[in-house]
Amino acid sequence: MQDTVDMVDDPEYEEEEPSFSDPEDFVDDVEDDELLGDILREKPQEADGIDSVVVVDNVPQVGPERLEKLKNVIHKIFSKFGKITTEFYPEVEGTTKGYIFLEYAAPTQALEAVKNADGYKLDKQHTFRVNLFTDFDKYMNISDEWETPEKQPFKDFGNMRHWIEDPDCRDQYSVIYEAGERTAIFSNDAKEPITVEERARWTETYVRWSPKGTYLATFHQRGIALWGGEKFKQIQRFSHQGVSLIDFSPCERYVVTFSPLMDTKEDPQAIIIWDILTGQKKRGFHCESSAHWPIFKWSHDGKFFARMTPDTLSIYETPSMGLLDKKSLKITGIKDFSWSPGDNIIAFWVPEDKDIPARVTLMQMPSRQEIRVRNLFNVVDCKLHWQRNGDYLCVKVDRTPKGTQGVVTNFEIFRMREKQVPVDVVEMKESIIAFAWEPNGSKFAVLHGESPRINASFYHVKNNGKIELIKMFDKQQANSIFWSPQGQFMVLAGLRSMNGALAFVDTSDCTMMNIAEHYMASDVEWDPTGRYVVTSVSWWSHKVDNAYWLWTFQGRLLQKNNKDRFCQLLWRPRPPTLLSTEQIKMIKKDLKKYSKIFEQKDRLSQSKASKELVDKRRAMMEDYRRYREAALQIYQEQKSIRLELRGGVDTDELDSNVDDWEEETIEFFINEEIIPLGDLYFIPQKLWKILPSSQYNGAECIS
Amino acid sequence: MKPILLQGHERSITQIKYNREGDLLFSVAKDTVTNVWYSVNGERLGTYNGHTGAVWCVDCDWDTKNVLTGSADNSCRLWDCETDDNQPYLSVPCSDHKITSAVWGPLGEFVIAGHENGEINQFSAKSGEVLKKAKEHSRQINDIQPSVDLTIFISASKDNTAKLFDSTSLDHIKTFKTERPVNSAAISPIMDHVVMGGGQEAMEVTTTSTRIGKFEARFFHAAYEEEFGRVKGHFGPINCVAFHPDGKSYSSGGEDGYVRIHYFDPQYFDFELEA
Repeated sequence: MQDTVDMVDDPEYEEEEPSFSDPEDFVDDVEDDELLGDILREKPQEADGIDSVVVVDNVPQVGPERLEKLKNVIHKIFSKFGKITTEFYPEVEGTTKGYIFLEYAAPTQALEAVKNADGYKLDKQHTFRVNLFTDFDKYMNISDEWETPEKQPFKDFGNMRHWIEDPDCRDQYSVIYEAGERTAIFSNDAKEPITVEERARWTETYVRWSPKGTYLATFHQRGIALWGGEKFKQIQRFSHQGVSLIDFSPCERYVVTFSPLMDTKEDPQAIIIWDILTGQKKRGFHCESSAHWPIFKWSHDGKFFARMTPDTLSIYETPSMGLLDKKSLKITGIKDFSWSPGDNIIAFWVPEDKDIPARVTLMQMPSRQEIRVRNLFNVVDCKLHWQRNGDYLCVKVDRTPKGTQGVVTNFEIFRMREKQVPVDVVEMKESIIAFAWEPNGSKFAVLHGESPRINASFYHVKNNGKIELIKMFDKQQANSIFWSPQGQFMVLAGLRSMNGALAFVDTSDCTMMNIAEHYMASDVEWDPTGRYVVTSVSWWSHKVDNAYWLWTFQGRLLQKNNKDRFCQLLWRPRPPTLLSTEQIKMIKKDLKKYSKIFEQKDRLSQSKASKELVDKRRAMMEDYRRYREAALQIYQEQKSIRLELRGGVDTDELDSNVDDWEEETIEFFINEEIIPLGDLYFIPQKLWKILPSSQYNGAECIS
Repeated sequence: MKPILLQGHERSITQIKYNREGDLLFSVAKDTVTNVWYSVNGERLGTYNGHTGAVWCVDCDWDTKNVLTGSADNSCRLWDCETDDNQPYLSVPCSDHKITSAVWGPLGEFVIAGHENGEINQFSAKSGEVLKKAKEHSRQINDIQPSVDLTIFISASKDNTAKLFDSTSLDHIKTFKTERPVNSAAISPIMDHVVMGGGQEAMEVTTTSTRIGKFEARFFHAAYEEEFGRVKGHFGPINCVAFHPDGKSYSSGGEDGYVRIHYFDPQYFDFELEA
C-alpha cells in the first residue's frame, strides 16, 4: 500500500484526495475458496449430461413395425418422472437390442425414474430394470481384488464402570463452578468430598451424564465430547457446530444433538443422531425450534424413538433409523405424547374437535394396537405423568365443566398392569402446583392451592382401584416435589422465590422428619441410591452465597460446601442393579449383619480423620510458635531503642511502669431506685399478729 | 457475653481505636463526628466536632495526649485529647494506586500501606521510597492492623480473605478464608486468635437472609487458620473491629452506626481446639 504511506509526506497531499487503490501489479493472496466459498458452492456445474441418463433393460426386442408402439408405451411410462429430452433405441440388424437410453432434463428426474420404474412389470416376460448411466461406470470400476478394510486399532479406555467398584460405595457427582471455568468430579463422602478429577475449561456451557452413568458429555462450540473410564479420558467426539442441547438414548447406544445453526434445505443438520460406540452420524433431521427438548422421545429400551409434528406422530426404529412401517401415524390435532418408561407403549392426547370429545389413547408399539382410549369432556389442557416403572399413568386434566367459568383439575389414573387398563379419577378442588409419582411404588404427591396457603397431599393407589388420601399437610412453603429414587422418602422444597424452605418427609407414615432451610436454594438433587440430598444455590440464579449443602435422607445437614460462583451439581447415575429380586430379599434379611460391619468401618474412619486433623494442627502450631519466638527475640533486642523513642518511658507492657500510675476514683452511675419513705412504717396491726417474729426482717415491706 | 451498645453516631462507623492503655475507645463515622467513650462501661466522655466531611480514620498517640483524625474533607485534624482544641494539621495529596490503609512499622522507620489493588508496600519513613512489596491479595485492602508488639500485622481484603504478615520482611504467614469481603481484622494481644468483621456490599444486603443481626464477627485460630466462633448482633456489615489492649474484650463498629463492646466470658480464655 505504498501510495497511502507516501501520501502524508507528499507536499501536495492537502490538495488531492488520497488514493486507496492497490498498486498496479498487486496480486492478492486470498484464495477464491476463502473469499467466495459459499457462492462457489452454488456455481452451476458443467453438466456433461450423463447424470440425467438412465438405462432401461429388459425392453422387448421388436422390429421396426412395432417400434413406434414400443416408443409410445415407454414414453407414457417414463414421462411420469420428468421431461424426456432424448431417447435412444440401439438396434442391431433391424430389431432393438433390448435396452434403451433415456435422457431427462435434470438428474433429479433420472433418480426418480430409477426409484420408481425399476422393477416395473411390463408383461409376463419383461420386467424393467432401470439404472443410472453413471452407476455402470461405478460398478465397472470396482477392482477385482478384495482388499480387507484396514483394521482400526482398538482404543482401550479401561474399565468404564470403574466408579461403581469404589469399596466404600461412594457416588460421584460433577460440579461446575467459577462461573463455568472449572469443572470437577467429586466422590461423595459424608465427611467431605474427595476430588476425583478437576479441569479448567472442560466444558463451555454445562455437562450431562449419560443415563447409566458411563459417559460425561461436555459442550463445546464445535460439538460435544464424551469422557469416561477411570481417568475420564476422551472416548468420543461428535462434530456439530453450535450444539446447544443433547439427549441420550436410555440404552446409551445413541446420542441426539441439536444445533440451531447448521440447517440447510438439502442436508438436514439441526438434529443429528449419532452412534456412540462408532462415532458415526446415523441420521439428520430438520427442526424448527427447540422449545420442547427433547424433540425425539426414546422408548425405554432404545428400540424406537418418536417425534411429534403438527397432526403427525413419526416413529423410527433403531438401528436402521428408518420410519417404522415406512410411514408416520396421522393423528389430527395431536398435542402431546410420551413413552411408558416400562413398556413400548405410547400415550398421547388429542383435544376436542367439534363433536368429538378429547381423547387420551394408549398405543402399543410396534403393533400400533390401541390398548385403551379414554374420552374426556370440556378439556382445557392435559399433562401426562408416568410412574417410573410404567405401572401407572396419571393424566392431569384441566377442565371447564359446562356452565362454570373456572378451571378444575382431575387426575385420571390408568392402572397399566391390570387387564383392560382400568381408569380411576381423583378430583382436585384447588389449582395444582406440582405432581410427582413415587419412583418404585404406588403413591403420588400433589402440591395444590395458592400461595401462601399451599397444601401437600399424599395419595395411595390401591389394588382394588381405590385411590386413598393418606395425609395432607397444609400451609407448606413448597413449590416442588423431589422423591428419593428408591421411593418412600421425599423433600418438599420452596425453591427460588420461596427462599429455600425444605421439608423432609417419610411417606411410610407421612411424618415430617425435619424442616430446614437453605436460603435461596435453586436446585435439589437426590443421589442415585437415595441416601443423600444436595441442595444448592446456583450462580446462574443468584449471585451470592453460591454453595451446595449435603443432607442425609432424613434431613440432617452434613456438609456446607462453598464454591466460588458455583453453577451446577449433577449426581452420576448408576447402571441398573444386576441383582435379582431374590438376592435383594436375601440381603435385606441379613441387613443387621451387614450394618454391624459398616458401622465399625465408619467409626474407624471417623477416628482416623480426627487423628489426621490433630496431627496437622500440632505441626501448624509448632511452626507458628517457632516463628513467634524468633520475632519475640528480635523484639527484646530492640527494647533499648523503644525506650529511647518514648523518652525513657517503658510502654512494652500495660503494667510496665506501675510507679507512674495515678489512682483515680471515678464514680459511675449504675442504677436508680426510688423508695417512698412513708410506706415503710405503715403495716396493718392484723399482720403483726400473723407473722411470727422470726419472719420479720427489718424494714421489709409486706404487700 | 452481653455486649454494651454505644449509640452516638447517626451514620455508619468507619473506624474504632482503643488508646494504648485501653481505657478509652475512639470512634469515627461518616456523620463528621468523632466520639470518645470509656471502654469499661460505654459511657461517652466527649465529642470532637469540627470536620466537615465523613471521618474515615482515627488514632491517638501513645500517651493519649493527642488525637489525629483523617477526613473526606481533605484534611487531617490534630486534637488535644482533653479539650476540644483542634488545629487542622495537613492536607494529603493522592498518588496512583490509592492507599486504603496504613500502619507504622515496629520502630517507626517505615510505614506499611495497603493499596486499592491488593498490594502491600513498605515505605521508608525518611525517604518515602518503597522498601518491600507483597502482592498476596487479589482485591482491595480494606484494613491493616498490627499486633500489640507491632511485629506482625493482619490485612483484611475485599477478596474474602484476611492474611497475616511479618512486619519487617512482609512474609505472608497465614490466610483466613471466608465467603464475604472482610472489612476489618485484628490480632488478639494475649491469645492466638484473630477477629474479622465484614459483610456484603451494601447493594447486595437485601438478597441475603432476612434473619436479623446476621452480620457476624468471626474468630479464627491464628495458627490453625480455622474458624471457631462467631458473634452476631450487628444489623449491617461490620466496618471495623479492634481488640482491647489487655485482650479481655473487643469492639466492633458497623454500617448500622452502632459500636458494640464485648467482654469475653471466662470460657473464651479456656477454649482450645483439639491438638
